[in-house]
Amino acid sequence: MTKQQFDAQLEAQLAELPKAQMPQRDLWPGIELALAREEQHDDARSSAGDNRRTVVWASLAASVAVVGLVGVLSLRSPAPQLDGMQLVNALSAQHEQQKNALLVKFQDQPALTQNWQQQLDELDSASEAIKAALDQDPDNMALLKMLQKVHQQQIDLIERVHSPKWQQI
Amino acid sequence: MTQGTVVAAADTFAEKSERDLIAAVQQGDKNAYHKLYHAYIGQVYGLCYRLAGDRGLAEDAAQEVFIQLWRKIGNFKGDSKFSTWLHSVTSNVCISYIRKQKGWFQRMFNIEDTDAANEVAEPSSAEVCLDDYIQRLPERARMVFVLHAIEGYRHEEIATMLGMAVGSSKAQFHRAKQLLKEWMGYD
Repeated sequence: MTKQQFDAQLEAQLAELPKAQMPQRDLWPGIELALAREEQHDDARSSAGDNRRTVVWASLAASVAVVGLVGVLSLRSPAPQLDGMQLVNALSAQHEQQKNALLVKFQDQPALTQNWQQQLDELDSASEAIKAALDQDPDNMALLKMLQKVHQQQIDLIERVHSPKWQQI
Repeated sequence: MTQGTVVAAADTFAEKSERDLIAAVQQGDKNAYHKLYHAYIGQVYGLCYRLAGDRGLAEDAAQEVFIQLWRKIGNFKGDSKFSTWLHSVTSNVCISYIRKQKGWFQRMFNIEDTDAANEVAEPSSAEVCLDDYIQRLPERARMVFVLHAIEGYRHEEIATMLGMAVGSSKAQFHRAKQLLKEWMGYD
């Protein structure tokens, strides 16, 4: 059979394919539940929104206090040596704090792209995968650097999509 | 009144009622959204199934499409047909969902399950339809084939959607056609 004959046969079969197919289960209950959860989450965020400035300032104050405390303690005693997963967990906790503070800050600001949260989730998955790998090999510097890079990408993404300069373009 | 006029009037009525339905959904009416779901679940699931190549994954992806559609529907301004716009949303959400499920490392290092390509195809049979063969294609070849041959996207668009070079999209399409030709017994 020549290429043209096959292409024509394929074309004919493609034209007969049904456009719609039905799933084997009803997907609506799951969708409805997800939307209801999202609404609850939005309500919680909006009530928290009134206090967001306080939260941001409280977070900043807490960070300053922690930095001060660490400074004082480091003068009084040798710095505790974080090793392996302790370091990974400390880095992750610090990153989460920074990320959440930014998300609260930009909460009511329109984002430049529609899928930035999806991109953020993907980077979350990447960071989880790296942490899982670090769990097996906690002193792997290449993985640790990768984790830091993914964290930085998340921060850059949040800032970039909410940047007023970009939105003016 | 001629039959043509009746058909045109029915189309206009259908378009108007769809516009009303979408406007209601954009106002946050969940009952209207349920109706919209019923009207389009076949189209959305059909595309997800062809892209995913797996019923369970396609069902989850179709759910994700409708969850994200609820957030995005405010962006629909009526410049194009709703079904066309929904098709584009479905393709993008579904591809992104499948990628997420396949794992970041697999994507990062471009590891593809090539088992399907190495499989010995069953003898060609009248009962095995084209859709079954499409499901057997390797993931990237299947996605490119579905998007180009069935959904009508250009290779440039597919390259952007799948994050690959235009040449790779064309190569994957060629690969898909070769495999189909072989499996369907035309080789």
